[in-house]
Parts: sequence; C-alpha cells; structure tokens
Amino acid sequence: MAALFVVALVVALVLVHKPLGDHMYRVYTGVRHSRAERVVYRLVGVRPESEQRWPVYARSLLAFSAVSILFLYAFQRLQDKLFLSLGLAPVPDHVAWNTAVSFVTNTNWQAYSGESTMGHLVQMAGLAVQNFVSAAVGMAVAVALVRGLARDGADTIGNFWVDLVRGTLRVLLPLAFAGAIVLVVGGVVQNFAGPHTITTLTGGTQHLTGGPVASQEVIKELGTNGGGFYNTNSAHPFENATSWTNWFEILLILVIPFSLPRTFGRMVGQVRQGYAIAAVMGVIALASVTLTTVFELHGAATVPQAVGAAMEGKDVRFGVADSATFAAATTLTSTGAVDSFHDSYTPFGGMMTLFNMMLGEVAPGGVGSGLYGMLILALITVFVAGLMVGRTPEYLGKKIGAREIKLASLYFLVTPVLVLTGTAVAMANKAGLAAMLNTGPHGLSEILYAFTSASNNNGSAFGGVTVNTPWYDVALGLCMAFGRFLPIVFVLALAGSLARRIPVPESAGTLPTHRPQFVGMVVGVTIILVALTFLPALALGPIAEGLS
Amino acid sequence: MSTHVLEGTAKRVGGGLLDPRQLLTSLPEALRKLNPVTLWRNPVMLIVEIGALATTILAATTETSFFGWAIAGWLWLTVVFANLAEAVAEGRGKAQAATLRAAKRDTTARRLRGRTSAEWDVVGAPELRQGDFVVVEAGEIIPGDGDVVEGIASVDESAITGESAPVIRESGGDRSAVTGGTKVLSDRIVVEITQRPGESFVDRMIALVEGANRQKTPNEIALNILLAALTIIFLVATATMQPLAIYSMSVNPGVPGSLALSRDGVSGVVLVSLLVCLIPTTIGALLSAIGIAGMDRLVQRNVLAMSGRAVEAAGDVSTLLLDKTGTITLGNRQAGEFVPIRGVTAEELARAAQLSSLADETPEGRSIVVHAKQVYGLREREPGELAHAEWVPFTAQTRMSGVNLDGREIRKGAATAVMKWVRDHGGHPTDEVGHLVDGISASGGTPLVVAEKGRVLGVIHLKDVVKQGMRERFDEMRRMGIRTVMITGDNPLTAKAIAEEAGVDDFLAEATPEDKLSLIRKEQEGGRLVAMTGDGTNDAPALAQADVGVAMNTGTSAAKEAGNMVDLDSNPTKLIEIVEIGKQLLITRGALTTFSIANDVAKYFAIIPAMFAAVYPGLDALNVMRLASPQSAILAAVIFNALVIIALIPLALRGVRYRPAGASKLLSRNLYVYGLGGIVAPFAGIKLIDLLIQFLPGMS
Amino acid sequence: MDRMPSWIRQHLAAVRALVVLTLVTGALYPLAVTGVAQLLFGRQANGSMIERDGRTVGSALVGQSFTDAAGKPVARYFQSRPSAAGDGYDMLSTAASNLGPEDVVDTPDRASLLTQVCARSKAIGEREGVSGARPYCTPDGAGAVLKVFPAVGKPVRAVSVNQACPATPFAAEYRGVKVECARPGEDYAAGRTVPVRGGVAEAAVAVPADAVTASGSGLDPHISLAYAELQAPRVARERGVGVDRVRALIREHTTGRALGFMGEPAVNVLELNLALDRP
Repeated sequence: MAALFVVALVVALVLVHKPLGDHMYRVYTGVRHSRAERVVYRLVGVRPESEQRWPVYARSLLAFSAVSILFLYAFQRLQDKLFLSLGLAPVPDHVAWNTAVSFVTNTNWQAYSGESTMGHLVQMAGLAVQNFVSAAVGMAVAVALVRGLARDGADTIGNFWVDLVRGTLRVLLPLAFAGAIVLVVGGVVQNFAGPHTITTLTGGTQHLTGGPVASQEVIKELGTNGGGFYNTNSAHPFENATSWTNWFEILLILVIPFSLPRTFGRMVGQVRQGYAIAAVMGVIALASVTLTTVFELHGAATVPQAVGAAMEGKDVRFGVADSATFAAATTLTSTGAVDSFHDSYTPFGGMMTLFNMMLGEVAPGGVGSGLYGMLILALITVFVAGLMVGRTPEYLGKKIGAREIKLASLYFLVTPVLVLTGTAVAMANKAGLAAMLNTGPHGLSEILYAFTSASNNNGSAFGGVTVNTPWYDVALGLCMAFGRFLPIVFVLALAGSLARRIPVPESAGTLPTHRPQFVGMVVGVTIILVALTFLPALALGPIAEGLS
Repeated sequence: MSTHVLEGTAKRVGGGLLDPRQLLTSLPEALRKLNPVTLWRNPVMLIVEIGALATTILAATTETSFFGWAIAGWLWLTVVFANLAEAVAEGRGKAQAATLRAAKRDTTARRLRGRTSAEWDVVGAPELRQGDFVVVEAGEIIPGDGDVVEGIASVDESAITGESAPVIRESGGDRSAVTGGTKVLSDRIVVEITQRPGESFVDRMIALVEGANRQKTPNEIALNILLAALTIIFLVATATMQPLAIYSMSVNPGVPGSLALSRDGVSGVVLVSLLVCLIPTTIGALLSAIGIAGMDRLVQRNVLAMSGRAVEAAGDVSTLLLDKTGTITLGNRQAGEFVPIRGVTAEELARAAQLSSLADETPEGRSIVVHAKQVYGLREREPGELAHAEWVPFTAQTRMSGVNLDGREIRKGAATAVMKWVRDHGGHPTDEVGHLVDGISASGGTPLVVAEKGRVLGVIHLKDVVKQGMRERFDEMRRMGIRTVMITGDNPLTAKAIAEEAGVDDFLAEATPEDKLSLIRKEQEGGRLVAMTGDGTNDAPALAQADVGVAMNTGTSAAKEAGNMVDLDSNPTKLIEIVEIGKQLLITRGALTTFSIANDVAKYFAIIPAMFAAVYPGLDALNVMRLASPQSAILAAVIFNALVIIALIPLALRGVRYRPAGASKLLSRNLYVYGLGGIVAPFAGIKLIDLLIQFLPGMS
Repeated sequence: MDRMPSWIRQHLAAVRALVVLTLVTGALYPLAVTGVAQLLFGRQANGSMIERDGRTVGSALVGQSFTDAAGKPVARYFQSRPSAAGDGYDMLSTAASNLGPEDVVDTPDRASLLTQVCARSKAIGEREGVSGARPYCTPDGAGAVLKVFPAVGKPVRAVSVNQACPATPFAAEYRGVKVECARPGEDYAAGRTVPVRGGVAEAAVAVPADAVTASGSGLDPHISLAYAELQAPRVARERGVGVDRVRALIREHTTGRALGFMGEPAVNVLELNLALDRP
C-alpha cells in the first residue's frame, strides 16, 4: 500500500510536470503582458520592458523582502487594532520578528501556536500573502539563474518585478484557487468564524475553530511554505481531513519543484538537461522516501518496540507509511508542513528528515530554491568531474571559472556554517540548552533540527523544543534571514556572471550532462559532501540514539 | 628520431619511475618550504602546519603521551611530504635548467658601430641592448637572441635543442632567428639583437623549467577556491563539534573520560587529527606538483610553454589548425612523374634526371632516383662508379644541382634558375616548358626542370605525400571532440584532394596570414579554443591570436614572441601531443581531487567511533574496519593521510594514464579508478596500518 | 520621481508591489475561495459539523473525549486515542506529545513516554478485560528500564528506575546483580540506561498501538479497527446489545483506504458512538 501511495505520486508528477513546466516556461519567457498585469505595473511604478542587470535585480528583491518583513512585523504587532483579530493580543516583539522573517524567507518556522496567536486577518492578509510572494521570489531567482545559463554574452538577467508578478498571478494563484476548492471538498474548512463552544456527547465542552484555512493550506503546500493555520499543521483534521487530501497535499508540495526542471530544460533549449536535473532530484527523493518509510515501519527504538508501531505523533487515518512519505516530502522540499511529529519518529526515521534538509533541500527542494540549489551542485560536480575528461569544466557550454566557483562555493558554505555554528552556540549556552524537551542525544537532535530547519528555510521542527524564547527567536530569525538572502545574492551574481559568458560549442570531448552517468555523479557528490559535513553532529544525535 | 640531450630525463619520467634518490635530494628544499611565508600560497597545507604546531605544543604541555607525540610527528611529516612533492617536481626542472645554464656562458660580443659599419667594439654580452648589431663568425658563440640581417651560416643549436645536426640561419625569410648561447659553425653573419638584457630565450627557459615565477593557472585558482571552501566547511564542522561533545559527556555523567574525549570535550590532538584527515590534503599537497609536472612533460618533449595557462588551454582546444607541409604531408615532396617536352623520350628524361640526382642526398633527390628505378627500371648507380663525373652541389645561390659527365652538363632545379642557366648557355626554352611548369604548380605539385646544356629535357613532378598514420591520428582527434583544419597555400582543388586523403575535417586553401587570422577569430567567436603552429613572421598575428600558438624554434623571433609555446624540435605534428599533455594535466588534477574527497568517507569510519564510542558504545558499530583501539584508529588515519601523499607523487608527476576517447568513456574509467578507488583504498590502507601500529606503546 | 535616489525608488516600488499583491492574494483570493466553497460545499467549508436533535455535538473530522466530568472513560462509549492537545482534544491548543522514541526514564516532572505507553496499556487492558502487558513494560504499568552502575564495565548495581520504592522491581536480578527499586529523589543519571524487553511475545500484545499513543493532531477522530474490536464486547455489555450489532456498526463507520491504497482503515469514534446512541 505504501508503495502504491508513492507510485501514485510519481505517476501524477509524470503526468503534470509537462504541462505545468511548459506553462512556467511560457510565463517566464513570454513578452506579452496581460491587461491586469499592466495595471499592476502601473500601480507599482515599474517599466516591465526594461531588463535588469544582476545587482539591480538583487536590490529589487532585497527591497521587496525588507519591506515585506517590516510590513508583516507591524501587522502582527497591531493585530488587536484591526478587525478579524478574534480578540487576540498583539504578538510579542521577538515572536513577531521571528515570524515576519520566517514567512518572508519562505521558511514558515512557527514560534507560535496558530490558533491562539494569530487572528484571521493576519493569517489571511499577512502570512498567506507571503506564502505567495516568497514562493514567487524563489522561482524568480531560479529563473534568473537559468537565464544566466541560457543567454549568450548578455548583460541582464530579467526583471524582478515582472518575474514576481507573473509567478504570483499566472502560476501560483490559479493553481491555488483550484487546489483550495479540492481541499474544501475533502473537508478542509473555509470560513471566517471564530471559535465556538459545543457540548460533546458525554456532556463535556469543546471549542471548535474556523477560519480561511483551505485558501491558506493550499498555498502553504504549493509554495513549499509550510506554516500551518493551526499548531498541529497538516495533522490537524481541518487542514488535512482525509487520507486522500493527505496524498493531494504531498502532490501540491512536489508539483512545482518537480516541474521547474522542465521549465529549465525548455529555457536552455535542451529538455534533456532538465530531465537530468529532475532525475537527480527523483533518485534522491525516492531513496529518501523509501528509507524514511522503512525506518518508520520497522520501528527500531524502545518506545516503538513497546508500542508495536511508531504510532506516537501520527494520526490513524494517515497511518505510519503515508505519514513517513509526507515527512520525507516536506523536508526534501523547503515546506516544513507536517502531518505527523518528527520528534517522536524512530531515531533513523527522524535522522532522514534531518538529512533531507541538510542536503540543502534540493531533491526537489523549495519552489525555485530547489532548482537553483541543484544547479549549483551540478556546477560543483561539473567542476570536479569535468576535469576528469581533460577539459576545463563547463556546464551547458558555460565555462566554470574562478568567479563562478567562488560564488558556488560561497553559496554552498552558507547553510552548513549557519547550521553548525548555530547549533554549537546553542549547545554552549544555558538559554540554548533550556529549550530541550527530550534529554540525551535526542535533545541534541532537537536543537540541531531547529537550526537545520531555520537555516535551510524549511520550517518544520522536532516539535519538542521550546523556541518561543527571545534567544531562539532572534538566533533562528538571523539564521533564516542569512540562510535565505545570502545564497540568493550569490545565485544572482552567478547568474550575472554566467550570462556574460559566450558558450563553448558541444563536442565529443564535452562532458555530457544529460546521461545517467552525470545524474549518478551529482547524486554522489550531493550525498557525500553533505554526509561529510554533518556526520559528526549526526553521530552525537540521531545515530547515537539509534545505535544505543 | 634524433637524439636529444634531454632524453635521459624523458625516459625516466616517461616510465613513471620516481628515483628514490630524488626524494632524498629534494628533502632540504622541502624543509625550507615549511616556512609559513612560503606555505601561505597553499592554504590547505598551511592549516596542516598550524595543526602540526598546535599538536606539538599540546603534546609537550597538556596532552603528553606517546600518542600525542606520534600524531604531532606525522602531521609534520604530512606537510613535509607535501613540500617534497613540490620540491621533487621543481627539482626535475632544475636538472634541465642546469643543462641550459651551461649554454649560457659569459660571452663577449663584437658590436658594430652601425648597421653597415665595418668597425666594431668588443663588449660583454650582458651589455647588449635591443637594436644593437653584432657580427659573429665561425667558431664564435652568438651573444644574444636576434635576427640574422646579413649573411648565411650554419649554427650548432644543440645546447638548447639537443639536436646535434647544425641548422642553417640566413637573413630574410623565416629562418633568420638565432638564439644566444648557440655556436656559429661556418660563415659570418650580422645579427640584430632583439632581446632585452637578462631576458634572453635561454633565461626564460631556465625560469620556466625551474618553475621560478610560476603563476597559478585560471583553473588552478578556481580549484584552489573550491578546496578552500571545503577546508572552511570541515574547519567549521570540526570546531562546532566541541560543544556537542561536551554536552554528550554531560548527559552521561557516569561515563569515564578517555584519551580522546573528556568532560572538557574532544582532546585537541584528536580534533586536529580529524580536521587534517578531512580537509583535502591529498590534492592540496599535490596540486602545484601536478602543474609543474605538466610543464615538465612538455619540456621532455622539447616544447617550452611560456605559461601554465597555455598548457591548460591546450587541454581545451577544440580546433587544430595544421599546416599542410611538414605536419600532414612529408615536408619533402617526392617525384611522382617525369614529363618530357616534345621531342624527348620519357626514358631520356628519366636517365638525365637520375644522373643529376645521384649525388643529391636530399629526400627529393633520393625520390627521383627511386622513381627512375621503379618506373623506368634504371639501375641505381653509386656516384663513385662514375669516375669522371663532376658533381655540382645545390647552393642557395644557384638553386640547382647536377652533374658534368663525359662532356655532358645536366642540371635540375627550380624552373626559373634552370631556364636562366639554359638561356645563359644559348638555349631557347619554348613556351611548352612554361605551360608544363604552370600546370604542375596549379595542381599543387612542385615542378623541377631538368636540362642539358642549352636545352630543356622536361619537368619532374614532385608531389605531396601524406604522412603515415595521419588519418588514424585525426580520427582520434575527432573522438576527443577536436576539429582539424588543414592550412595550405595550395589551390582549393589540390587542398581538397590532400585533405580527403589525410582525413582532416576541413581545409583552408590559398591561405594568407590574414585568412588564418580571420579563421581563428571566427572559431573563437563561436567559443572554440584554437591551437596552431607557425614559424614565419607573417604567422605572428595568428600565433598571438590563437589560444595555443606553437612557434617552431627554427622560426623567426617575431613568431617565437607571438606564440605561447616553442617547439625546439620544430616538429608541427607535436601539436597533437601538446593537446594530449594539456588534457592529461587537467585529468590528473580532477582525478586526485576526486580521490582526495572520496578518501574522507573511510576516515570518518575510523575516527568518529574512536572519538565517541566511549560515551555512546553503540557507535562502535561504525568501526567497520574493527580497528584495534581509538588511539590506533586515529593514528592510522593520520599516517594513511600522510603516506598517501608520498604514494601519489609518482602519479602526480607522471600524470594519469590518458588514452584519447570520448568524454563519457574517459569519465567512467576515471570515476571507477579514482572515485571508487578513493573510497575503497583508505579502508584497506588504514586497516593495514592499524594492524602494524597496534603493538606500539599507548595504543590500547 | 526620477530625481529620487534609486534605492528610494526601489523601496517605493516594493511597498506598492506589496500592497497590490496583498490586495490580490490576501483579500480577493481568500474571499473568492470562501465564496465558492460556501456556495457549493457549505457543509465541508464550515467544519463538517454533526448535529443531534438540532444541536451541534461536534465535527465529523475532530475527535473528542468520551469521558465524564472526572475524566473517567464513559464505558458505554467507544474511547478515542490518547491526546496531547491541552487536557485532551482541545482545539485551542492542538499539540502532539513530541516525546522521543528513547524517552524511557521518568523524571520528577513527568512520566517518560515509555511509562505513559505502559500505563495506558495496563489501564486499557483492565478496562477491556484483556492483558495489558507489552514489551519493555513492567507488570505495574511503567517502563521496564534499568540504570546500571557503573556506566562502563561489569555491573555492580542495578536500579529499576521507573519503579519508585516500595514497588517490586520487574526483575529480581540483572547479570548477577540484584535489582533495586528507585528511591525517590536519588539521582541515577550516572548509570547506563538499559531498557529490558521482557518476555512478552509480540503476538500476545492485546492492546493495539493506536490505543497507547497520542496522535499528531491531538484531535484524531479515528481509532484503528483493532482498537474498536477490542472495545466492542465492553460497549455491547454496557449497552445490553449484541456484540454482533456493535460490530456491524463498527464496519458501517469504518473508512477504508481512499482509492484502496491511501492511508489506513479507520473507525470514526464520534459517528460510531452517535450511531450507538440512536435507538
């Protein structure tokens, strides 16, 4: 059954990636602007025809993100003054900062409990808006990098405002609308009601809550955001009502990241290059899903052995296997939504979710961020492997010189440095250690997970850790901001530098980057580099726990 | 093939054998390179040196144990081995430089007071300036690089080329360049000095082979950046492990501390050991040796690369421009047909042609005798058989040769020269001769006119002969993804015929230097890298434009200035070897990088359980090699890490095996050997070392 | 406009872009979805509420506790899974336990996950009249975990750390050392933690997995078929109806796997209990 569940996902992705990938290709390469878009550009005050060099593109992106953080912060702090607040108090300053950064960086780490902190208006017009635009920003960066690879001797890499508006209006919005209706059919709620109290069968009371959940749930998955309307996220029956909405939400998580390689292939004029990238993502993703599921079904640890199954933190309607698939999907992408609680996973099952994020979320990764992360890994692979065919390395005809490798290296450095130093600092001070719920190696895993999740902009958690303290809100907020925007700047710089290069024509001496050989190599490089970086930390966390 | 003075070295290296004595002689230099100022250029090894220093201090103060001292010792050895690799590579160049220096004797020069002046002053060679004119006569050493502006002479250039046969240098044309330090054997020439003092060709050669002012190549810089990034990651991974280790000990208060792990965390010695094992020391140690050795391999083939960048570019070349003559066809044409003029039988012509060529030892002359025998059955006679014969040798002035025998005077040679000779002897060559000559020229052949005193007998048609094995060579190139273009002054028809016969991909006929230049530009605009050879002054712009421009040593100084390589053998076919050496250099770099990174997997399996099994006994399951003790495991990893550098020095110097093949095939093989091998080898190596050292004190 | 520094222009554009996109994706879009959802799928959009006698008694999607005011299970009803949401099934503080798979040693603040599992198993076993025994559980419903001293080497002392004195330790001795009960207040951190599986065969475990674990949502509306079957005789007995009828209702309220392969078969407890209440 577990296998069929995954096979059905694969089949669905195979069917959908082509039309969606082609659609995105047309969206990002088209020259026509719809009337609605022209109105938007006029209101925003930008000329959609003018292209930007990479520094301008990057500055526009950073300006938009900075404004978004300020806006979202103010929104939360002032929510009691606005309508639809459900009577909730202003969000404390450190939580508001953390949440603002979290949603703008597409992390959607939640240092708060949705149902008791955020009113409907903040959820709908603050958080959900960032679900859209932070995803569109990610796609814009990926498309800019692809343009860098596709263009010959060009100075510009596109127009950020156009990419942002098109990604939001032409890609995310229509898909979200259709998906939201599907979720409502499954039972996901969509109303503006506040909590109301009912009397249960045995005479007790229960508070039933409402809200515009479906409209937010769908973009939370589709944009690989992950911030739940409720505290228990996609485990909550009002967010994820049935076993099939569960499947559908996993599909929503994967659909754009797995379609973008096709868009990439179309843009560089070689669809097979896109498929090679998709194959790398697919191989890693399938291996990870399989391992996570096997570890969870096997249930090797004291409590799961006592229970007879790793059912702690999992809902009956999903079961162990499908929950594990969701866990793998959400951490392989930058989603971070959960339908079961990773903290209670078996040591190795939990380690897989950690490892997935440590891969840099590239298989298939977040919307946009997965593609650009994977392209960087492909560049690094080409650099080492390319030498072994006796030529200075090139990818898609673009020479990988010192500047390119410098930017790729910087990109590659950011997250490990953030994760490891963040974890080390937390482990070395009282404020950091105090947050653990569990003790021993599992407590270490909780902290490591928190910094891995924040720095990689995932947002899921080993939920036991108490992170709504000022220390964690600030530290993790910084990790999220640096983990998002430093790599983006490096990617855009790389795009600019690649765009300027004149491509070298392909010959029999060129390293082919569309064959299984290359796919295998990128998979190998990705896994070995990540394993080498994080093995000491993993050894003292989940591995120590799992081998005890 | 001719013999070279340098061949002794070439053979030794070619066999890939590293003379252990070389390691010994390079040791002092390796120790000198421990100076951090020198090591600054190699950040990976600098980190190792700092680590070695730190462990030494720790072993001497707080962590005194045999284990601590052993680790410190092996870390120092790691740095020394890395330096040794570089020193050995440089040492080989030094041997060659010594040979060259011998040629650079302090000479005196006779400097003319003016170009045409007959007066001269005796000055020391170092005082010569550009634009000075010096006169050199038989037996004298040419005092500096320059061009012959007057006279013709035979010159012994063996000091720089190793070629013992003298070469002709003459004013004008493409054989005017002379090199300082070579010796004039005959005649007298006037040389215009073209070098600045201290920058002679020999000076540059010495600097190049010694690697004195070696600059990192673009790819080397890029690779260094990647290695630095990896180093930073592992530095962070190792440093940040400490709070995690302290925490782990604190939640297991009942666990006693070990040598590797105490309540204060992982011991400094172990932490440094882990760091050194993880950072890419193998490639970091060998990277510069690989670069030097690449240049060195060129030198062994008598090619001087003016920069490492050129060698790297050679690996990337996608278009080869090859001169037809000398590269694709034999430099000398061969007699293909005797064409008599009306009234002369072919037999008669053949007999005259044979007679005139009997004493002609040039390949053309031999080919005439052979043709006469094969087609007309004329017995080849030894010049000695004809007692009365008076042989007229070829001279640059007469441009013909022949024989005076029994009153007959027979001459053969260039059409104009022979016709003039006929007219001078009262003959009146008809237009027919002119037509024949033009016809042969037009078809790409070379006409040699044969005449007897007063009348022309006919014309010998000398044809191009494509060298053996060229087609296979070009097929190979195609498999490597390299396009070959034949450059010739011939008309398109002839060019096409020869191009097809030789199997090149394309040809450029009736090529002028401008055509060459524009062809190179066109290829480069398409993103291709172009390699070419050239010798003439008019090749200079093209040589400068090409990514790899190989100037023939026989060529003009302008050509040598313009190109970025000089072939001392003046063998244009060598371009193909140069490309292969370039590729080999890049492959070696990539293969050892892959090997270096792949090694880390096994080292983790040795060190992580050694560090942490004390606090989490379950982690002993990761000790898949079943190493004897934590101490022996860590020491074994460090020793392996050091020894692998020594073990790979021969490979770094020789370069990995290279066979021309498509990219996919090459990659598969190298991945298999250096990727998979890099993962497997250290498992075996560390286990083996562990078996040996487990009996040392303090290892349990 | 053009005379403004470019960074100000960029930020102004950013502000305007955010306002425009907020209007579209933060107002128009959710309102449109709400409109369509309320119009076409009103029941689902409002939470799939269940009414009895004109009064809302809950949501078909949200589990609830079937306990009395004192928190004791009401025997006439099928019982839901344990819940970590507030005091149980509290929609205003949904949560999972987030306790790890090796959380086996009780602390003064809280019982370990293992002890929670063992205690639930024992209680349910008693309630349903079956054995509540499980691997790694003591007979008195705690985690069967020893602290062995010293942490490394041959044991000289062993303490059943989850069994406070004067309880009888679940085992008499461990590798030749007598097992002691845990003296409250004593710090056993220095010992090596050794969970003891015990002799309970997997097949002999009567209480199913979902019955002893808290769900992820804290609102799990379902129980497994096995847990429902376990409860059927008790509910039938309490209600004075035949077990067959109860079993038939269980089947009726079991949701199979969607399309035959998604998720697990699950019994909706609220709907089942409502069906039982119906005359």
